[in-house]
Amino acid sequence: MVRFKNRYVLCEVVSEDPRCRQCIEDRALGLAVRDAITRVHGDYGLACCSISFTVKYLNAYTGTVLLRCRKDSYRLLCSALPFVRHLESRAQRYPCFLNTLHVGGTIRTCQKFLIQYNRTQLLRLLQTCTNEEEKQCIQTSLLSCSLTEEQSQSGDEEEDDGTE
Amino acid sequence: AAAFERRVLRRAAEHHYLRVRLELPDGGARPNAAQFKQLVVTALRELHGEVGASLPVDVLTYEEKTLSAILRVISSGLVKLWSALTLLGFYQNRRCAFRVLQTSPFLLALSGNSRELVL
Repeated sequence: MVRFKNRYVLCEVVSEDPRCRQCIEDRALGLAVRDAITRVHGDYGLACCSISFTVKYLNAYTGTVLLRCRKDSYRLLCSALPFVRHLESRAQRYPCFLNTLHVGGTIRTCQKFLIQYNRTQLLRLLQTCTNEEEKQCIQTSLLSCSLTEEQSQSGDEEEDDGTE
Repeated sequence: AAAFERRVLRRAAEHHYLRVRLELPDGGARPNAAQFKQLVVTALRELHGEVGASLPVDVLTYEEKTLSAILRVISSGLVKLWSALTLLGFYQNRRCAFRVLQTSPFLLALSGNSRELVL
């Protein structure tokens, strides 16, 4: 059975500057990653990784990024991700770094991991939050995501931690 | 009778040696040994990036007159080095080409070349 196998790399963009949020776009991120691959692995690495390279999913609020590449070159991609140090868009550049969370073979496995990860992140946020209203917000989010499928339609498993 | 035993070691040598010659068709200034090594590292950096440029490559001998040299590289990096040398086209904006004359995992094998044998 011969088919093209892909690897999906789930990362999060971490930045100290809050204005970096608006700068997170798929094209800017794609260019930044390609530039890092060119610096680290040269022309050959860039050509290898660009065969099936796209930014599949991007969430600017949480900084979650899902990248796709071929299975033969995912190691080149993963080794070049620590070398992404700024994101540039509209003539602004902000320092940031990419944290690799998970490498999966399909989008579905990455989504399952992301749901689990966001649940644990909400718990950690609950422990570190400072004032009462943040606590209330996070508690309602936690309750809404922990409800099982009694109510079928409203209980969507996706996270909505819209405000942090 | 003694038992016959045959041992085959694959990829046992840790270094590979290459005898190369740089062809500079125009008669300009020739690179010295340091510039030659810089050229090799630049070729690796262009094709294979920082990872390629950090490959342990040594220039064991260099003759400025004939522009030929013996390079030593770690065995896992032979493919990267050879491909980088093949695809190098320019030295200081002058056309150039690398010709690989001999390659072997043993340095002693580079001393004799049956291609240049005069019978």
